[in-house]
Amino acid sequence: MSVARRLAIGSVAIALCAGCAGRTSFFAPAPVVPLRLHEIAGEGDAARRASQRLVLQGLASDAKGQTRLARTSYERALQVDVNNPFAYLALARQAVESGDGASALEYLEQAELLLGAEDLRSPRVEPHLAGLRGAALRARGEQRAASELLARASDLAPSVWDDGQLSAAELR
Amino acid sequence: MPRAKPRSARKPAGARRGRRVLRVLALAIAGGAFVAGFAAAGYFLSLDGSVRARFDGRRFAVPSKVFSTPAILYPGLDWKLVDLRGTLARLGFREAASPGHLEPGEYTWGASRARVHLQAFEHPTRSEPARDVVLRLEGPLIQEIRELPSGRELGAVLLEPEPIGAFYGVDREQRELVKLEQLPPHLVDAILAVEDQRFEAHRGIDLRRIAGALVANLRAGAVRQGGSTVTQQLVKNFFLTPERTLRRKFQEAAMALVVEARYDKHEILEAYLNEIYLGQRGPTAIHGVGEAAHVFFGKSARELDIAESALLAAVIHSPNGLSPYREPERAVRRRNLVLEMMEEQGRLGAEARAKAEAEPLRLAAVTPDPGDARYFLDLLRRQLSDVYDASVLETDGLRIYSTLDRRAQRLAAIALREGLADLEKRFPRLRSEQPARALQGCLVALRPQTGELLALVGGRDYATSQFDRCTQARRQTGSAFKPFVYAAALEPLNGAPSITLANLLDDSPLEISTPSGPWRPENYDKRSHGMVTVRQAIEGSLNIATARLARDVGARRVADVARRAGIQSPLPIVPSLALGVASVAPIEIARAYATFASGGIRPELQSIEDLVDEQGRTLERRKLRFERVIDAGTAYLVTSLLEGVAERGTAAALHSTGLRGPIAAKTGTTDREQDLWLVGYTPELVVVVWIGFDEPRSLKIPSAVGALPIWRRFVQDMTGGQIRGRFPKPAGVEEIEIDPVTRSLALADCPDRQSEYFLAGTQPTSICGEAGSGEQPAGDGVAERPPGREPGGGGEFFRWLKRQL
Repeated sequence: MSVARRLAIGSVAIALCAGCAGRTSFFAPAPVVPLRLHEIAGEGDAARRASQRLVLQGLASDAKGQTRLARTSYERALQVDVNNPFAYLALARQAVESGDGASALEYLEQAELLLGAEDLRSPRVEPHLAGLRGAALRARGEQRAASELLARASDLAPSVWDDGQLSAAELR
Repeated sequence: MPRAKPRSARKPAGARRGRRVLRVLALAIAGGAFVAGFAAAGYFLSLDGSVRARFDGRRFAVPSKVFSTPAILYPGLDWKLVDLRGTLARLGFREAASPGHLEPGEYTWGASRARVHLQAFEHPTRSEPARDVVLRLEGPLIQEIRELPSGRELGAVLLEPEPIGAFYGVDREQRELVKLEQLPPHLVDAILAVEDQRFEAHRGIDLRRIAGALVANLRAGAVRQGGSTVTQQLVKNFFLTPERTLRRKFQEAAMALVVEARYDKHEILEAYLNEIYLGQRGPTAIHGVGEAAHVFFGKSARELDIAESALLAAVIHSPNGLSPYREPERAVRRRNLVLEMMEEQGRLGAEARAKAEAEPLRLAAVTPDPGDARYFLDLLRRQLSDVYDASVLETDGLRIYSTLDRRAQRLAAIALREGLADLEKRFPRLRSEQPARALQGCLVALRPQTGELLALVGGRDYATSQFDRCTQARRQTGSAFKPFVYAAALEPLNGAPSITLANLLDDSPLEISTPSGPWRPENYDKRSHGMVTVRQAIEGSLNIATARLARDVGARRVADVARRAGIQSPLPIVPSLALGVASVAPIEIARAYATFASGGIRPELQSIEDLVDEQGRTLERRKLRFERVIDAGTAYLVTSLLEGVAERGTAAALHSTGLRGPIAAKTGTTDREQDLWLVGYTPELVVVVWIGFDEPRSLKIPSAVGALPIWRRFVQDMTGGQIRGRFPKPAGVEEIEIDPVTRSLALADCPDRQSEYFLAGTQPTSICGEAGSGEQPAGDGVAERPPGREPGGGGEFFRWLKRQL
């Protein structure tokens, strides 16, 4: 093998290693820009848009620590559009934050079903689904499964999930 | 030595006797006075005991109030459909004449613009401020909502929750407690001006007032003033009977003295303002200025202006004779008299008086007694009585925020009442002169994903029968139970389902041995239909095919699915379970169908959002709860089958009469047509309608004729006929084309193709046109050829189905 060829192979190997240095594993998925709900506030029909506004209001309240008011906003969002998956997602996030893993998993179940049904389960939602499920399992003491999911969320959206949690502002 | 006094110098014997008499008299008087004083002291002590017992304990029984869920307005909403103007009227909003300055609780309505000054809503965690909003209208739609004066665009605004009832004690008094310091000074001034102008000066009774009132009334030639002080009126209302005797009057005066000696003026006046009787609203007595302000003006007492305050003060004199609703002119004359007295006493300036006198009478619209929510109120009372004593609910002034949707409730009550009346008109044999034997029904509506109870009408007339047929009755469900059979058969067990939607079912005569003898199920048309597809079996509600399928799957498994879905009543493990022999409450069926509607996730029923005590502390807060109990794919397949029932089957009249959008439904008619059901759902609503007699007897009509029109009308009125959304197809379900004849996979070259849904991995493996194509039967009742292509088989079936429709 010529020196030039060896050098070329070596350079490619170094480049690959450098590229993977920030990832948790070699096979980690490519990062995505995680979804923030204000980006889709104008989508859907009138009821969905109103519902989304209420979810955003709730997230704003949550960010200020007004959790009860926030929860009411999420529930009102469901009153306007009971099939709004993002309202369940916001409820799941709040439940995780309050340490109620069981409720969070219930909300996530609804959110995932509705996201899938409406073709809204884009790669940009995946980090939140994985991360919230992981955090919910962690709250229930299922550490091993939780770690895997949180690692996946962190791989997908390190800017948000590196700390293992999703703040209301990050989802908003 | 002194001499004896001459006889003449001594006092005469008569004088001595007189002195003795006087002494005895004095002693008697002193003794009498002592005894009287002792008795009086005892009397006053006993009065003091009574007064303290009432004043130091809970002074007022405040019934707990129940509220609906708030209506939400947002751009794109059909304001006509949600009856926005009716809602504003029920909330006590007044239509203002001019669009200038609007007070909270007022609105204006134009062709393209409505302006509503929303009232503040007080709540420990979700208070809403009063806000002035403008709605831009285009046809029936709200196009835009902006807040004034900022002009900020709003995504959604909430109206305050509507009161739907209260838990009264036996006296049916309604009041809202107020604090004296919260009230506007002009309200207190108005009341004192006319009821007790020397309130601050007297000690319970006011002799000058009595004399003054006498003179004033003589001068006026009419009763302008009463002689009783505020304290006396309070005592009379608190402790005494309304009889007009000297004894009672004396008692009143004595107690007034005790009250004044024991309590300060602030406490006495506050108690009076909360106690005073101000009229009737139906059977309910309105007590206190807080409640009266809401009833008369649709606002809080603290927001009353001078004219409104004077009107309340005016009404005290004769609450029913001066009712501003029944006697507006008399009420206004009396109000103006109050204003005049306020000015005479220096409580009001001349200018303010003139302005208040010029005010027209602006009253909150009279809202009909929301009697149609009483079944729901009873349900709440039963649920809450597990946690709270009846006395707490009747006296502690709790505020119960429920999930009830006021509009849904009203539409449900109308749909049921008029639907039953229509049936009696069409089929006079269903009429009964005896109310207890009248045709009955119930309607319950839920939001499937959250389990929130939106409407509950437990019978056609609460006044006649308070028995709630939605929650307290257990009735056989008939074919409305069949979806659980199909769910059990379609649900994978140990990796594979018993059937797929490509299978055929056998609807030929069947006999099943049971401990009580052979059981031979029959179809509604008394005929058998040979081999039918799964869809045909459920769309035509075929009993034999379903019973055979249940036998193959196992009654125990069917019962298990039904229980998981939400049925809590006992389910007998017998072959006839498949055909709805179990007696179940309509609300259970609603919940179980909600599980299908929300993709196999069973919701917990919710009837309360939260519960707040008199001090504004949250006592209860609901928590949405759901649990996955059926896999999403199976739930979707059942929904798809039930969509077929609403499109082509026994409930096809739902679509053919104008409802557009996704509907999944199932009819249910029991033996001898004693119970008629229509259970159905849209992506946002589960509705159950049951019709029958309390003492079961045959209606001699099928459910498509009896229950379906009521269901259809309710959903039509709720949605405007256009049902929103779609049923979510989960990831594990595939839509695949199959050959309708062979039920095998249809490739592009197959002459006939139809779409069908399969759980991933359960689709047919053979391909149409290949030798031996067609699904293998999963049991001895499941075969491979559809009836429609067999002579005398499916053709007959379709003709029968057409006749049914």
